[in-house]
Amino acid sequence: MIPLPSQITFFNPMPTLEIKNLQVAIGEKPIVKGLNLTIRSGEVHAIMGPNGTGKSTLAKAIAGHPDYAVTGGDVLLDGKSVLEMETDERARAGLFLAFQYPSEIPGVSIANFLRAAMQARLGEGEEIDATAYYKRLYEKMDMLKIDRKFTSRAVNEGFSGGEKKRCEILQMAMLEPRFALMDETDSGLDIDALKIVAEGVNALRGPGLGVLLITHYQRLLNHIVPDQVHVMWDGRIVKSGDKGLALQLEAKGYDWVKSELAAT
Amino acid sequence: MKPPSELDSPPTIENPVAGIDQSKGDFRYDVAYEFDAGSGLNEETVRYISRVKQEAPWLLDFRLKALKTFLSKPMPTHWATRDLENINFDKIRYYLSQGQKPKRTWDEVPDDIKRTFERLGIPEQERKFLAGVEAQFDSEAAYSNIKEAVAKQGVIFVNSTEGLREHPDLFRKFFGKVIPTGDNKFSALNSAVFSGGSFIYVPPGVKVSHPLQAYFRINAENFGQFERTLIIADEGSEVTYMEGCTAPKFSTSTLHSAVVELVALKGAKIQYITVQNWANNVFNLVTKRGVAHEEAEIKWIDCNIGSRLTMKYPGVVLKGRKARGEVISIALANDGQHQDTGAKMIHAADETTSNIVAKSISVGQGRSTYRGLIHIPKHLKGCKNNTECDALLINTNSRTDTYPAISVKGDRNTTQHEASVSKVNEEMIFYMQSRGLTEGQAMSLAVNGFINDLAREFPMEYSVELKRLIDLEMEGSVG
Amino acid sequence: MTNTTSTSVAPTGVFTPEAFAARLAADSAAPAWWRDRRRAAYERFAALPMPSRKDEAWRFSNLSGLSLEGVALGPTGKDERLARAPFGPSALTFLNGERIGDHAVTGLPSGVIVTTLRDAAAKHADLLKEHFMAQEQKLGSEKFAALHAAFVADGAFIHVPKGVEVADPIVVVHAAGSGMAVFPHTLVIAGDNAKVTVVDYFVSVGSNNQGSAAPTLQLAVGANDLYAGHGAALIYIGAQDWSRSTLAFQLNSIVVGRDAKAQSLNLHLGGKQARHESHSQLRAPGAFSEMLALTVASENQEFDQRTLQIHQAPDTKSDLLYKNTLRDKSRTVFSGLIIVDPDAQRTDAYQSNRNLMLSEDAEASSLPGLEIQANDVRCTHGATSSRIDPEQEFYLQSRGITRAAADELITFGFFEEVLNRLENDGLHEALRDLIRGKFQK
Repeated sequence: MIPLPSQITFFNPMPTLEIKNLQVAIGEKPIVKGLNLTIRSGEVHAIMGPNGTGKSTLAKAIAGHPDYAVTGGDVLLDGKSVLEMETDERARAGLFLAFQYPSEIPGVSIANFLRAAMQARLGEGEEIDATAYYKRLYEKMDMLKIDRKFTSRAVNEGFSGGEKKRCEILQMAMLEPRFALMDETDSGLDIDALKIVAEGVNALRGPGLGVLLITHYQRLLNHIVPDQVHVMWDGRIVKSGDKGLALQLEAKGYDWVKSELAAT
Repeated sequence: MKPPSELDSPPTIENPVAGIDQSKGDFRYDVAYEFDAGSGLNEETVRYISRVKQEAPWLLDFRLKALKTFLSKPMPTHWATRDLENINFDKIRYYLSQGQKPKRTWDEVPDDIKRTFERLGIPEQERKFLAGVEAQFDSEAAYSNIKEAVAKQGVIFVNSTEGLREHPDLFRKFFGKVIPTGDNKFSALNSAVFSGGSFIYVPPGVKVSHPLQAYFRINAENFGQFERTLIIADEGSEVTYMEGCTAPKFSTSTLHSAVVELVALKGAKIQYITVQNWANNVFNLVTKRGVAHEEAEIKWIDCNIGSRLTMKYPGVVLKGRKARGEVISIALANDGQHQDTGAKMIHAADETTSNIVAKSISVGQGRSTYRGLIHIPKHLKGCKNNTECDALLINTNSRTDTYPAISVKGDRNTTQHEASVSKVNEEMIFYMQSRGLTEGQAMSLAVNGFINDLAREFPMEYSVELKRLIDLEMEGSVG
Repeated sequence: MTNTTSTSVAPTGVFTPEAFAARLAADSAAPAWWRDRRRAAYERFAALPMPSRKDEAWRFSNLSGLSLEGVALGPTGKDERLARAPFGPSALTFLNGERIGDHAVTGLPSGVIVTTLRDAAAKHADLLKEHFMAQEQKLGSEKFAALHAAFVADGAFIHVPKGVEVADPIVVVHAAGSGMAVFPHTLVIAGDNAKVTVVDYFVSVGSNNQGSAAPTLQLAVGANDLYAGHGAALIYIGAQDWSRSTLAFQLNSIVVGRDAKAQSLNLHLGGKQARHESHSQLRAPGAFSEMLALTVASENQEFDQRTLQIHQAPDTKSDLLYKNTLRDKSRTVFSGLIIVDPDAQRTDAYQSNRNLMLSEDAEASSLPGLEIQANDVRCTHGATSSRIDPEQEFYLQSRGITRAAADELITFGFFEEVLNRLENDGLHEALRDLIRGKFQK
């Protein structure tokens, strides 16, 4: 059922992230070439595809990275385009990007950083309650098996691959986005670290969160079971299905998609 | 004390390329000079040089003005070594030659000069891998030739005397524009008394596949060699130039003071390779600079092994958008030597990039100094400089200094400078010795490892020899 | 060769022989030895030329801003009030070179002396004689050092005897009224195995400070002598917050003994043109000097920092980290030199200058130097100039933080690396507040 515009604005019964015929270029080079995808709150979608097919570009463009130019199409959050918004406005509107390669921010502690991010979501004159903040922070850290000492360490600085990814999930847990784009969250993780991260994401799953998992490999999807799987190829989604599609891909490899595409 | 080893005796060197092994250049034959400006420097010396070269009046004026500049400028001892004060300008002989016209075949070169170059292996190298050779003997080129196929593409490769005579307009258009006379005291000196050096012009789009080489030989005692080189690479062309040099060891000091100007027009590439191996009595005070226009590239590959004092800071003025400049520098200072080298990068257009990698090795009481200048002025954007300089100290009394100066304006450019000083890792030496190498051999390996990434930038013939020379220098450094 | 001899000018500005004579006469209580030193210093000052273009030690500096004119030596008003005390109550406060209040400093472990130079001249003459301005100035400001030595009449004297540890920082405030020439001085002697933290806070008072009316020149020529004895731990903070019309010099000398550690952190906020010279001498094996600095440059300010790390003994260590942020049309110069003497084997020396460029018109120059005469050493230096990394900016924005807030976080993060090296948490907050104050101005 398609909700009426009035319902979106006023009742917002089913928040959606709609990607409509999206085209993205880096410099002069087109990377994403007309991609369509709708994610409803509570759903987990996975985009799979070989390297260089535009998966990460899609995520960065939705988050508003200045190096990625949207040349056509639209991205709508609850029916409202985000393309004119600054990156931070998109984040405050409820988008979250878990980075493949999170930046190191020297001298800025995780505690201060998250506090600034949460403060940014409050209105003028409002202050976050420090006690409640730390209580929640420690809860989430315990859940993700992150040492509490990490709060005073600079964001991502000197972190191992696994620590960086857990720190991303910690931020997600604290900021409670409505839609999370998870870019190759499994890369650089051994199986133990992968399980911790997956448990974290699973714990956050629920009716209030839509997730887009971007991954090259099927193994993440053993731990975070998606509702839908999409195959991305040369800047477009060329195949969609349920979680069985991921297993098929794993078994047959991406060449299978390639040959299927050639056949049509 | 050295550990006994059969390899401990001085190795015999078979020299595929001359100009590297210092002992190889330490010989001299008597030569009868037809032209001699005598000792000391005054206006008459300059007039004499200009007269025997039958120069145009503008050039004599240029030289006389330069002489005045030279005399008025103080020695730069407020920042440089006081060893400069030991140069006795009155004792130096400023011009010595057998004639101003170089020969085109080795057969025509007089025997007394030819045998010098044969002993240095120059004709052999020419046959093997060069596109052209100029062989300068004291003040003038004795031999100068370019392979016919290269000449047919319109490439000009002559000495500066011929260049001025045969291509006056082209020469004058660029001459003294990259390095003005008054740039420093020694560029002024060169401008007053220059003789020899190369003049090269590469037409648009021409890519000279093999290097052009100049070889500079000092034969006379108390001599001053002042060659002047000007290389113009027209749009989209490419050229590699190599220079080598030697001199016999005299008990008195010798002066070598060259000026080298490079112009790389839009999209052109110039690679300039120097292997400096002057005898330990030579003051080597050289000014080298290039201008790189839009998307052009100038790369200086500079190796200093010889001389008593070298002061040389090759530079690139990055004048056009996206121009690139690079200096790769290796210096080895042994007892009685001071290698004062470095690089200058003057960014003058957006998106220009420069890279400097300098490595020095100080052995015995040798002293190596790095001086750098990076300038990125206001309102440029997208400029980048990266500088790395590493010094290796071999003996307890070796010395190294690093004096970079980096000046950046605005928030759209980045510079990065890293320098380190270290000694050879003792654990590494011990490890190699435990495998049966002598300390000297282990040290040679370690030092070669230190410069390995840079040595690869040199043509194969040179890098092999560089390694052998380091082996030689290291032999005496331990124990 | 002809060499034109330039007539060397040695201007004395308002510091004329008469002004000096008057100043000395006013200080009749000073002991003869000190008066003799001051006379000798005045002669050096008057004889030395002003810095010129040819001085390598002044490369990249704005020489035209150096002036000895337009400031007054007195009389000193005592009615001006300090606007704030970021480091809490001070042990000693000087206004225009004179101590305010005459209460004895209390609450210190027994044997610790915190007093004025004048008092020390009377009671601890030997200590003062041995340590007061006893180290040679080598970084270019010899003329200004001589001016300081000639005109300094009082200052702070801190002596912590052998084995005594002082828990709380000892705070000294040096305040100057508008239009004044001041010569702040702090001398700290930490005896063997002693431990002490000293804070110097330099601040302008009066109408001139908060940028009103026509700026009145101010000249501050300060110096300090810091000595860390065998096994001592000396922490020194210098927070400079002079008015924007001040020409400031601060000459800092650190002498570190066997197995001792000296940590110094200089915060540079104020001044129109401020030059800071810092010498560390590593005198005996195990000595360690950590030299830190933070500069917040804005508008037309010039901060000129020159440093020397001299390793005079084997097994010594020095670590320098100077960070500058540059906004508007500000300029910074960093020139540092590590000298390793021939016998100082196994030296471990580090030197780093990082410039964060926050405007198109700012200019940063770096001259990181090494002079190494021993081979078994580990010496490195680095210098970088760059803007805020756009990827870091994007990362923070992707978490909902505005760009301006992101830039501020990153900039403060840039300083935190230096602040975190400081062991005293209470001082962190005071320093952060001062930095924040300047950013929000």
